[in-house]
Amino acid sequence: MQQVFHTWIWGSSAIPPCRSSPVLSGWMVNVGGQPFSGLSRDAQLGLSQGSGWAIQEQSRMLVTGGSGLVGRAIERVVKTESGEREGEEWVFLSSKEANLLSAEETRAAFEKHRPTHVIHLAAMVGGLFRNMRQNLDFWRNNVHINDNVLQAAHEFGVVKVVSCLSTCIFPDKTTYPIDETMIHNGPPHESNFGYAYAKRMIDVQNRAYFQQYGVQYTAVIPTNVFGPHDNFNIEDGHVLPGLIHKTYLAKKEGKPLHVWGSGRALRQFIYSLDLARLFLWVLREYDEVDPIILSVGEEDELSIKFAADAVVEALGFKGDVIYDTSKADGQFKKTASNAKLRKYLPDFKFTPFKQAIKETCDWFVANYDSARK
Amino acid sequence: MYGLLSSDNILFIKPHLSLSLCLSLSLCQMDGSVGPMRVLVTGGSGLVGRAIERVVKEGGGREGEKWIFLSSKEANLVSAEETRAAFEKHRPTHVIHLAAMVGGLYRNMRQNLDFWRNNVHINDNVLNMSHEFGVVKVVSCLSTCVFPDKTTYPIDETMMHNGAPHDSNYGYAYAKRMIDVHNRALFQQYGRKYTAVIPTNMFGAHDNYNIEDGHVMPGLIHKTYLAKKEGKPLQVWGSGRALRQFIYSLDLARLFLWVLREYDEVDPIILSVGEEDELTVKDAVDAVVEAFGFEGEVIYDTSKSDGQIKKTASNAKLRKYLPDFKFTPFKQAVKETCDWFAANYDTARK
Repeated sequence: MQQVFHTWIWGSSAIPPCRSSPVLSGWMVNVGGQPFSGLSRDAQLGLSQGSGWAIQEQSRMLVTGGSGLVGRAIERVVKTESGEREGEEWVFLSSKEANLLSAEETRAAFEKHRPTHVIHLAAMVGGLFRNMRQNLDFWRNNVHINDNVLQAAHEFGVVKVVSCLSTCIFPDKTTYPIDETMIHNGPPHESNFGYAYAKRMIDVQNRAYFQQYGVQYTAVIPTNVFGPHDNFNIEDGHVLPGLIHKTYLAKKEGKPLHVWGSGRALRQFIYSLDLARLFLWVLREYDEVDPIILSVGEEDELSIKFAADAVVEALGFKGDVIYDTSKADGQFKKTASNAKLRKYLPDFKFTPFKQAIKETCDWFVANYDSARK
Repeated sequence: MYGLLSSDNILFIKPHLSLSLCLSLSLCQMDGSVGPMRVLVTGGSGLVGRAIERVVKEGGGREGEKWIFLSSKEANLVSAEETRAAFEKHRPTHVIHLAAMVGGLYRNMRQNLDFWRNNVHINDNVLNMSHEFGVVKVVSCLSTCVFPDKTTYPIDETMMHNGAPHDSNYGYAYAKRMIDVHNRALFQQYGRKYTAVIPTNMFGAHDNYNIEDGHVMPGLIHKTYLAKKEGKPLQVWGSGRALRQFIYSLDLARLFLWVLREYDEVDPIILSVGEEDELTVKDAVDAVVEAFGFEGEVIYDTSKSDGQIKKTASNAKLRKYLPDFKFTPFKQAVKETCDWFAANYDTARK
């Protein structure tokens, strides 16, 4: 049976795609008082098959940042968990193939691959300390990447883009738990304001595309992601991969494990494979332009110390663990609500934390030489 | 030349990374000073640019200074290449960055994407080229319309990022806000002291008087002129009850020069008349009607949006620096502007 994907048309409320029968997609609707045609750009340009209804029998999913932590997880889920559906083609783009800082190279990649859908993961990312030193680069580079990808997607008639934000971009002064409506309610934490604003502007741009053109681009907001294929660089990486690498070395060299910060900072961690499964759901089913937090619940918030203990246990490290309190903790907490996710997917099961840590540590040990660090 | 950096109350000295670049481009002398100022004004042919040009010519400029007023005819600043070419040609030491895609309420409401993208590109190009070419100071231009919609009043400089802007022009508003983000990031990473001003509603000669897409004052002036000429009623959009602080472009220009030369902060500064001088749109209508001697009917079309009902801004920071600065009286400024418009109707932008 062939799956067909349909262009999404918006009236005053979203109409979910119907996979078992064709959906009428060529009617005129009013959004915000402005009439616009619900036909996909391809149909308007006469580029798609059929009579001009925006039915696409072949979907091509382009994943930018395809070789990164989340990209590799999506690739694995697509390939091994029957995540790939008939009529879908998945392309995982890496920076080797196209430098998305360049508008020309981005356009060339879109011209080559002609995606119908995009999962946009590519970004300049780094851990706390690198962000603190280079806010300008994090701001500029990410704004350019995001603008290039979103604009190319729009020009090439991509029907849906799912971009990737982060809970670290939320306002620093805030009540908890944070939720999707609060992203723009105040300045972000000073440590990474460049990165944070660049990510926030994805949401601004998504809303503007929808308002001006009716295209439905959206975004997800994961909490702290971890898993295989991460960047395990100790200086510039994120907390969990940094811990994993440091514990591995500490064990190998018979030295103490130095953890930066007090260990008391709190985080919600999400395993990359769980995030990947949710990404596919968002791509196929989630209907809103407003972003959605993808995270374990508030009840599963953990301290850095707890995470360090799990890593120590997974790697069988027996030495001393020392907390260097002269180093910054970053934001003390960023507790996010996953109520919106739970409203849509009340039964989604996250991989238990210790199991996910064990799998990640095992992967790191087995792939130490080639792992990014 | 050394710049002072302050981070979390720790003051330390860091050499300007621009010194070597500055020297290599022959922009400065061995002691790090930049020699005579070469000021590039982007958006130089617009409302504020022309006002600055006039103030510079009438005694605001200093000996040895060179002022270049760039217009979009010469360089399309949405393009990185054209921006670079302009900087290469003019080699400025200072920049007053006024160029932007601007429009009135109704155009913003229709095209938030274009307002966002084009302004982000313009601003990034200008700020990035300034940094690359060792420009020692850039003064960009924000607006009180970029402030959070849900807020207490009066608004002040510290509040700019404290919430989402008004829905009517969020594309423009965020693009302008990001100038401040870019300035702070440039300071943090390289010690550059680029800053920005935040004017309230400006008006004056050389404005864009387009009725559909212009701002409230020039729109009123044009409509009143036509109403008088055609013997028809004056139709004002909105209820007339919206409140605004208006600043005359020549006053703004004088303040811009002070900011360029004396204002030392990276944080932006509001340039405006005080809260006590806030006026309704109806007050503005009455002043324009009086200036033109219009005697016909004035009708308020309440089916049209008012935009934000108020945006009261505090000018306390400005007053702290310049307690004695005198603003041109409103009616006089309106009269001068209306007289200019009537005399220049054919060539005025509309």
